[in-house]
This record gives sequence, C-alpha cells and structure tokens, in this order.
Amino acid sequence: MLIKDVVCPFCGCLCDDLDVEVEGDRIIRVDNACTLGSSTMVGDHRLKNPIRRNGTRWEDTTYDAAIEEAAQILLDADRPVLYGWSSTHGEAQSLGVHLAELIGGVIDSTTSVCHGPSILAIQEVGHPGCTLGQVKNRADLIIYWASNPIDAHPRHMSRYTTYATGFFVQDAQHDRKVIVVDTRRTQSADVADEFLKIKPGGDYAVLLALRAIVRGRADVVPAEVAGVSRVQLIRVAEMCKAAKFGAIFFGLGLTMTAGKNKNVRNAIELTDELNRHTKFIISPMRGHWNVYGSNEVFTWMTGYPYAIDFSRGIAFYNPGETTVIDILSRGECDACLVVASDPAAHFPRSCVEHLAKIPVIQIDPHPNATTHICRLQIPGSVAGIDAAGTAYRMDGVPIRMKSIINTGIPNDTEILQKLYNRVREARGE
Amino acid sequence: MKFLMNTGRTVPQGESVERKDSPEYEKATSVCMIHPVDMMVLGIEDGARVCVKNKSGEVVLVAVSSEAIEQGTIFVPLGPYANHIIDSETHCTGMPDFKSMTVDIEPGDTPVMTVSELIEKLGGVRYAH
Repeated sequence: MLIKDVVCPFCGCLCDDLDVEVEGDRIIRVDNACTLGSSTMVGDHRLKNPIRRNGTRWEDTTYDAAIEEAAQILLDADRPVLYGWSSTHGEAQSLGVHLAELIGGVIDSTTSVCHGPSILAIQEVGHPGCTLGQVKNRADLIIYWASNPIDAHPRHMSRYTTYATGFFVQDAQHDRKVIVVDTRRTQSADVADEFLKIKPGGDYAVLLALRAIVRGRADVVPAEVAGVSRVQLIRVAEMCKAAKFGAIFFGLGLTMTAGKNKNVRNAIELTDELNRHTKFIISPMRGHWNVYGSNEVFTWMTGYPYAIDFSRGIAFYNPGETTVIDILSRGECDACLVVASDPAAHFPRSCVEHLAKIPVIQIDPHPNATTHICRLQIPGSVAGIDAAGTAYRMDGVPIRMKSIINTGIPNDTEILQKLYNRVREARGE
Repeated sequence: MKFLMNTGRTVPQGESVERKDSPEYEKATSVCMIHPVDMMVLGIEDGARVCVKNKSGEVVLVAVSSEAIEQGTIFVPLGPYANHIIDSETHCTGMPDFKSMTVDIEPGDTPVMTVSELIEKLGGVRYAH
C-alpha cells in the first residue's frame, strides 16, 4: 500500500511529502526522503522487548516488570534527571514534565547540547524569525552561518532555499543568492555564491565587523577579520542590504565554540541592523525532529524551555547549573531516565562515566551506546512510523505525525503514563 | 603535534545513527579528517591510525586526508569517539566546547575500538543485539 504525504521523523525539517510503501507491518520503500530520513524509515534495527541488566548479564523482561523496576529506581532517587525528549512526540514530552514535577527531578532535553545557547541569546534580544514557507516564497538572499545543511539537513536547500521555487522567487537558482560562512569548505560552501572562510573562533569578530559595515562604519574595520578580507565583508554587507528579503540560518558552529550564546546574540543583532535597510530574519537549524517541540511543551508547562529543576517544589531554571552536562559533571545525579536520546554517544566522556555508575533507565526503540550503560531499556514505537503524535518543525510550526504501520509496540506516551501512574500509586497519591 | 578539533554531522554518521553497533557507524564516526600538509608533517598517509589525546582522555581514530579542513585543525564526526576526548566544562552555559577542543595527535598502530568497547571502558556492560 502506498501512503502519501508522510512526515519524516529525522531532522528539524520535518519534510511532509514522503511517499511510503508499506507491506503489513513493514516499510519497504520510501520516496522523496533524503538518505538520513530514508534509512530511519526503513530501518529494522529495533529492540524487540524490554531488557534489564542483571549484574554483568543482560536478560529479557516484560513491559510491566520493567515499568515496576523503573518506578522503584525513580522513587529511590534523591536527584533524578529526566533527559532526552527530542525524538519523541509532544504528548510524551508533556508526561515527562508531569513526572519530573512529581518526583522533584530535573527535566532537560538535547537542547542543552545543541541550541541551548541560542535560546539564551533569544531570551536576551528576541527572535526575529518567520516560517520556512515565508523563506521559500520570499527570500532572495540566504545565509548559512556555521551550518552545513547538505550533511545535517539534506533537503533544507531543495525544499526552502537554494533550489526551491517560491511565489516571489520563480527561478530560485537565478533569483536567490546564497552565502555560506564556515571554518571549513563543506559541500554546502561549494554551492554558495559567496563563501566566507573564517578562522576557528572568529565568528564573533566577523559578525561585529559586518554590523559596523552595515551601520556605515567600514572605516573602523581592519583589512582582515578572522581570515576574511574587508573587501569581501563589504561585498557581503552590500549583498545583504540590496536583498528584498534575507534569511540567516545558523548552526552549532556558533553555539559550540567560544562565545556560545554571545555569538548568537551578535548574529541576531546583525539581523536587527539589517532590518534598518531591508527585511531580514534569523533562525537556528534545529537538529532532532522534535527538539523544538520539547522547548514549546516545556515552556507552556513550566515557563522555561529546557533544564528545569523541580527539586525546590517549583520550576527553577538556570542553565550552567541545572543543565544536564553540569549536573553530571558535578556527580550530582543519582538516577537518570533517558527518553529517545543517546547520551552515551553524545555526552563528554566524564558525564558518560558518571552515568555508568548510577541506575539509568532508557526508553528508546533502538539498541544504542546508552544501552551498554543502562540498567533497563524499554523500547517504544516511533512517531511517524508506528505511533502518532505532534511534533514541531524547526520554525515552530506544529505538524501531526501519522502512524503508518501497526507493530503492536506501545508508544512513549503509553509507557510514560504507566510509569507516572505507578510512581503516584507507590507514593499513595 | 597540536590541533584544534571540530566535530559535526556527516551524511554517513546520520545514515547509520540508529545502528550504533554496526561497522558502518563505527567507520563513519571514527575518522579524523586532516589537511594533507598536516598529514605530511605527521608522516602518515590516508587510512593511518592516529592517537588523539588531551587532558580528558585519548582515542584511536583513522586519518583521512581532506583539503577542505584548515591546516592546524581536524574534523571528527560527532559521536562516541569524538566525545571520548571532549571536556565537560560548559563555562556556565550548559554547553561543552564540542567544536573547539585542543588535542595532540601522534601516529599510532593501536586498533580502533568498537563503540561497545569504548563504552565498556567507561564502566558499561556490553549488550549484543
């Protein structure tokens, strides 16, 4: 059976035009997806049932027994952290917040190690953004700053920017100019009209120089800024001012290098400066397919977008203190519930060493690096494949993910609801 | 020889990210892209194993020559190999320096570990799927 307009559960683009052919409970072909989306949709590397570690051996267990054991671990913990949440649907994220509040834990998402600093910058100076539809239909100048869409968001250029035909941009390749700013010449840089190769750590200085030029003070800019010539900077500033609608998409090259949130703040302030001449917007290239959703759901429910600590009985937020990396590197956390994420693969070494010492429960469909350090893994279904649920695209647009096959595997909401109920029951509530 | 390590996504890494115990994922995330001139200075060729280390630890990777990489820097796809040598300091932001760690590189002949071996070394217990 062919199912049309399926939403892809891989990256923040949430491409919603996939044609998927299913046969029984299997996906046998995917059209329109990129390599990353396609391998996610047809992948069959799922954990078949819950598993638990018994000393140095692994054994199969049942959903009920696993949920009971998970509840006991969380009930025994003094400083539990509930981490992940970016590759699951909004309904499960909502239950995560309820559970964190119930047990006085910390709830944090992969935002912490992704665009957390971007959110800190947005909290300081705001977010002049728009939907990807606006970009596709209106933008005649695109800047990818410290991001490499061809590798990380392979269809971003074809659906929304470089190669996308829009209402006011009929001949995309001719009418739309693309600028790439990066420390290395990526494939994305190869297709750009202008490539600014900056020295590592030079983003802040280059952004400041561009702000000065746009403000009419090119005279204060030295002949070279972080490896970029003043001549090229002036040319780029003129391209920006001449555009009818410009869009800056920035990546982790700004958030993971020195300066972090201050780099992003500087980029937003450049956007502000450019809006004195023309229309310009800026947006982060969000990675996981529903990481934006975790920020939305957490904010509605607690007032804060990530790193929320309920240990005081109220929601408390202080990135740098209540963020998962800081809690783990201080050795504070004594139990961890990981949902739809793989911290053992993506956290610094010392954090993984601490996780290996404490009880870790993982709710995730695949055996991954965290499997080797957890005490218990409970596989759930995947929204967009065998579960339905809501996700938020990188521009904040909510999109409903359909269930296209029936595997009989419980979804993350069902697993978390049972866990929440069991914890409440054990506490006599 | 000192380098600045950058990490990030690649298509092979993303393609195999749901199969972390596969040879494809291990191959995709255990590469270290280096400028050809730096490879010459190190006295190594494409496919040579290198020991990448700093105060956080050390890890063996496979060197791959790339002119897209700035001299004095290396690029390692994000994943458990790169993170083996990432420090957890966040400078009060919650975010480690995933894209700006200083590392030392030496040619070496130790085999590249598997993902499960790496995690076992940190205290895990291998699960064979």
